[in-house]
Amino acid sequence: MSTPKTPPKAVDDDNVVHGVVAEFTDVSSLLAACERVRDAGYTKADAFAPFPVHGIDKALGIKPTVLPWIALAAGGIGTCTALAMQIWMNGIDYQYIISGKPFISLPASIPVAFELTILFASFATFFGMWALNGLPRFSNPIFTSPRFDRATDDTFFLFLDAKDNRFDEAGAKSFLADLGGDFIEVVKEDDSPKSIPKFLLIGLALLISFSLIPALLVARMRVTKSTSPRIHIFPDMDFSPAKDMQQTSTLFADGRAMRPDVPGTVHRGEMIWDLDFQTGIELEKLAQTDAPRVRRLVAMVQSDVEVGGDEQAADAADAGEETSSEPAEEASSDGESDEDANPTALTPAAGPEVDTTPWLSENPLPLTDAVLRRGQTMFGVYCSTCHGMNGNGDGLVNRRAQRILATTWTPPSNLHDETLFEDAYPDGKLFSTISNGIRKMPGYRAQIGAEDRWAIVAYVRALQASQDATLEDVPEAQRATIEKEQTDVKAALEKAAAEAEAKAKESST
Amino acid sequence: MSLAVSNGLDNTVERPGQRAPLVLGNSTFHSITESVCRISENPPSKLWVFSFLVSVHLATMLGLCILYLFYTGVGVWGNRSPVFWGWPIVNFVFWVGIGHAGTLISAILYLFRQEWRTSINRTAEAMTIFAVVCAGTFPGIHVGRAWLAFWLAPYPSLNLWMWPQFRSPLLWDVFAVSTYATVSLLFWYMGMVPDLATFRDRSKNPFRRAVYGVLALGWSGSSRHWMRYEKAYALLAAFAAPLVLSVHTIVSFDFAVSQVPGWHTTIFPPYFVAGAIFSGFAMVITLMVPARKIFSIEKLITIRHLENMCKIILTTGLMVGLAYGTEFFVAWYSQVGEEAFAFVNRAMGPYWWAYWIMISCNVISPNVFWFKKARTTPWIMFVVSIFVNIGMWFERFVITCTSLSRDYLPSAWAYFSPTWVDWAMLIGSFGLFFTLFLLFCRLMPIVNMAETKATLAKEMHMAHQDDTATPI
Amino acid sequence: MSHHHAVAPKPADDPAFTMPAMLSGLSLPLCVVGLIALVGGTFLGSSAVGGRFGMSAYLTAYMYAMTIAIGAMFFVLIQHLVRAGWSVVVRRVAELIMIMVVPLAVLFIPIGWAVWTGSLYVWTDAAGYQAEHHIPADAWAEKIRWLNPQWFTLRACVYLGVYCLIGCWYYSKSQRQDQTGEVTLTESMQARGGPAIILFALCTSLLAADWVMSLAPMWFSTMFGVYIFAGSILSAHCAIALLSFVLQKQGAMRDEVTIEHYHDLGKLIHGFVCFWAYIAFSQYMLIWYANIPEETVWFFTRYPGFSEDFGPISIALMVLHFGVPFLGIMSRHVRRTPWAVAAWATYILVLHFVDLYWAIMPEATVGSGGAMGVLASVLTVLGMVCLMLGLIVIVGARTRLIPVRDPRLAESLAFENI
Repeated sequence: MSTPKTPPKAVDDDNVVHGVVAEFTDVSSLLAACERVRDAGYTKADAFAPFPVHGIDKALGIKPTVLPWIALAAGGIGTCTALAMQIWMNGIDYQYIISGKPFISLPASIPVAFELTILFASFATFFGMWALNGLPRFSNPIFTSPRFDRATDDTFFLFLDAKDNRFDEAGAKSFLADLGGDFIEVVKEDDSPKSIPKFLLIGLALLISFSLIPALLVARMRVTKSTSPRIHIFPDMDFSPAKDMQQTSTLFADGRAMRPDVPGTVHRGEMIWDLDFQTGIELEKLAQTDAPRVRRLVAMVQSDVEVGGDEQAADAADAGEETSSEPAEEASSDGESDEDANPTALTPAAGPEVDTTPWLSENPLPLTDAVLRRGQTMFGVYCSTCHGMNGNGDGLVNRRAQRILATTWTPPSNLHDETLFEDAYPDGKLFSTISNGIRKMPGYRAQIGAEDRWAIVAYVRALQASQDATLEDVPEAQRATIEKEQTDVKAALEKAAAEAEAKAKESST
Repeated sequence: MSLAVSNGLDNTVERPGQRAPLVLGNSTFHSITESVCRISENPPSKLWVFSFLVSVHLATMLGLCILYLFYTGVGVWGNRSPVFWGWPIVNFVFWVGIGHAGTLISAILYLFRQEWRTSINRTAEAMTIFAVVCAGTFPGIHVGRAWLAFWLAPYPSLNLWMWPQFRSPLLWDVFAVSTYATVSLLFWYMGMVPDLATFRDRSKNPFRRAVYGVLALGWSGSSRHWMRYEKAYALLAAFAAPLVLSVHTIVSFDFAVSQVPGWHTTIFPPYFVAGAIFSGFAMVITLMVPARKIFSIEKLITIRHLENMCKIILTTGLMVGLAYGTEFFVAWYSQVGEEAFAFVNRAMGPYWWAYWIMISCNVISPNVFWFKKARTTPWIMFVVSIFVNIGMWFERFVITCTSLSRDYLPSAWAYFSPTWVDWAMLIGSFGLFFTLFLLFCRLMPIVNMAETKATLAKEMHMAHQDDTATPI
Repeated sequence: MSHHHAVAPKPADDPAFTMPAMLSGLSLPLCVVGLIALVGGTFLGSSAVGGRFGMSAYLTAYMYAMTIAIGAMFFVLIQHLVRAGWSVVVRRVAELIMIMVVPLAVLFIPIGWAVWTGSLYVWTDAAGYQAEHHIPADAWAEKIRWLNPQWFTLRACVYLGVYCLIGCWYYSKSQRQDQTGEVTLTESMQARGGPAIILFALCTSLLAADWVMSLAPMWFSTMFGVYIFAGSILSAHCAIALLSFVLQKQGAMRDEVTIEHYHDLGKLIHGFVCFWAYIAFSQYMLIWYANIPEETVWFFTRYPGFSEDFGPISIALMVLHFGVPFLGIMSRHVRRTPWAVAAWATYILVLHFVDLYWAIMPEATVGSGGAMGVLASVLTVLGMVCLMLGLIVIVGARTRLIPVRDPRLAESLAFENI
């Protein structure tokens, strides 16, 4: 409820005079009157009409509004907000790839930018218009006259404001009469009670307090702790009937919840016809010397695919193949092969004899940057816990085992041991070891795909090469950078040392 | 001064060089006020009470279905693999489309200075808002865990630490539809303020006077206010016009950015907009033909208003037909097997019946409007408008379901069938729409009195000028 | 309300309605120079860059004139259809542009010749194109049932026939009304507006597919017809505003076409700038988003990362064809300043050429053909514009520049914006 600004001078017995108003019955007489009012020098006159009268702003000398500029500015702000929001949210703060689109996809940002432009401009127009008009304003002295109710029906009013410099009550009255106005009245201060009706206040208060209840409840819940279990409104959504492994299901005819592979399909990276790739052995060559072993190996790879990675079963079926692929934590059955200094997987248990297996001597994967990086990742995931990040055999598991003095612990190999270098330990053999395990180390065939195992082999070779490489191994073109880095690091180290020394001195003094 | 304009009720003949009147029957400013305010001031008719009760029941049914859906999950719908977008999306697109005619009448026809919009724009805008309410319901409940639908808003969440996905057309939809609802509401309310002031000033009952007084914001009819008001109205019209195009454009993007055959076609944006205007005008006719009769406002909403709407229906119907044709032609011309299959499948596949309902309702039935007799006979246009509503619902059904049920993977093909919940929700959404609309008819000024009076004043002025100008 | 009065139209034979002498004198030189430049540009392109390049330059120039002419035809039809009053004073100017479809039908002959000799559209060498692009035989066999010289020529004749029919009919009726002032003529023009627009829409959609889209035979976009139409209707409004302004500068129809009409034309130009951007953006966005190779190929040849010549034009179109004019013509003040409207109209007409150049020329060669190629392209279109202007002046000199006895002329003269 806004009240009129600073009330003009009060007249003794009566209320404040705001102006004089007269009625007109049609548009043309109103327009003619307005033009004469304007020409007589009134600047604060106003006309009231039930509809927008074409040409009245000119007749009254009303200046155009700044509203379009406000709308334009708000629209521009809307565009910028939308673009900045989308770039920040999807492009910078929370990046993720969707259908291969760049993080900052301008074409996809246009629709929201457009919508917010319109939204901001519309808000500015709507609220700007009411603000410029000084509305809402519920108490208006001109409403005091009951005749004025017809201003929104069919009657036109011309109002001369008391604040106008040319205004004097008697003159204004006669001027309006001269213009052809009827029912000329003086508009006085509204002396009816200005307070809001009680029922409105009570109703409003009730409405607000009721609408606050849910919000308050939520707020309370968020800051308090409860020991009782939460209420499940939709139990079947909270506890969805998802099946675990090996459970039964009525959904399928065979009653199994786990689904076998579709017949005739192959896991990614498990193409069985490349058996050399799967075993790490040149099987053609091996077949000439040890045909039964080749048969076992082929059966193993095939059963592997059929059972879908059920590794233990495959190994069990692989009869006579005494490997140490039992789980490490059990490790109760290891025999003499534990002492085997030169571990060879897939060798008969007869003891340390010359390894005649025709191992693949070269990694079948192309040695690209991507393969090595993949190998690095997989090594980091599966191998480094025991062998350590740099392969020296001192991973976290080993360190803990040393600390607790585990009695049955066999320390993992140091991959930088010469017996494990490429000439002594071919790539195929390393691959086989990773696949089938050795001593306490379990086989990783089930966890790591064949391609990734080969990638690990490639990475292990890179690791080995890295440990005693010389500057000559670096390509000619990059030596300069390496040397520069070397000197930079040295300089930085020296500088840091000097600084630390200086600091130590400073703090001691 | 004589306020008589025309005594006859037929203003559909317009000789070149003269303009036929839009306000008929010796109307005066006061008689316009009377005929509009009377609707709200008199006690409701039996027909109104009956319709309202039926509508409220249907709306309640929608509410109960929504509760059932929340409790049980979206499996209560017929949405199954591969048709994951079934009726909810069809209903959403249908209702959003209905809304478009309101903004078109209030904004675009305003910009084109089509004065015949003045007496129908209020109802059409109200229809827009109620249709958008119905439309917004469906994607809201389709998100599965509807109580988390607010995750769509880009608010800084302390729990999630993540933002919505702005490269998805579904999120554009959230922005487009909510902006559209907001701006339509502002536009509708702003247009209503002077008329609410009329209601306020006529009220005898203090409670009524207080409520309308608050809603009218203290509107006095001051010329300075009118000047800014008209500017703001023009600006909002200028914003709403591209907005309305953008909304159905973005709805069409939901489909067209995908690679589903029959969805991914570049003509979708203008074709969806034309279709939306088409269906929206049909709905305006469906509402107006009975309403003008029941509320006795034939002098304000004249046959000429209806005829013009029929012409727009004919035009947009032909545009939609052209788009159907273009799609078919290009599907063949492109020589992409999947595209060609998708379109042949629409017409000849398992949903042939839906396709041909769509073609006969949307492309064939509006052609009766080539005849003036059909354009000026209310019952004919009422029947055709119902056909168009049905046809446009089926258009969305055909687009959504035929394409999804025949995806790239033939082993996943399936036939979509709705469940009783689908049916109940579609019918219930009409209940919600009519409940809101009937309330509006009772409580708000259903014709824009101020603008109609301005039109009348202009016509009186022209008539006056003609009288005086002829002798010279 | 009483401050604007009905303006009494001037008598029909007022000198303000005749073609200004200065322009009449220019008509023959314009035609001659235009024809020379048109032929010269085409030959320059053919000899300096390649036969297909020269013909593509000719096609660009031809499409430039054609889109403006049919845009003006749409203007005339739609004004009749909606019984518009405001536009009567500029309708004759639109009709003069519209009637250029008749000379343009003749100017189609070189394109028809190119189709039969295989020097413009790549599909004319059916077997070679299929082999080169490894297109499946069955798909290609279907395709060339649509894209073959006989059927293409027949369709072109139908489109041009329809345009000439509509153009001549409306032009002659309007001319007759100048003499007789029959009100029934307006009524019959209104009544035929609907069917005429349907024919127009069908022809324009197919024309865009045939004449421009088939330059890349395996590419397709259902929106393409709308895209060409959007540019067409936009440039037609610009041409009407510009031509009216030039005629007024030379002394014709000074009291008739007022600031109010420029204001309305300006609003429509602004609206159609947005419409063009809407269509262009939607088409690009959908193809970009779905990322299907057979569709993206068209934009790929115009992509900044791929084509040094056309990539920058793609960017420029976004900024110069939409951004700049959108802000430029937004202000009411600009729209109410005739010279500013005319200046913006000229600007957009230039950009309309760039738009068509961007749509057509990348299919002719990998690049713009170097300096000679650009020169040839520009020379050809300038020749076409001069020729068209010359013909418009020749036709305009035989008629009045305003439909002097149109029943709605008074309404148009008294027209005032809100």
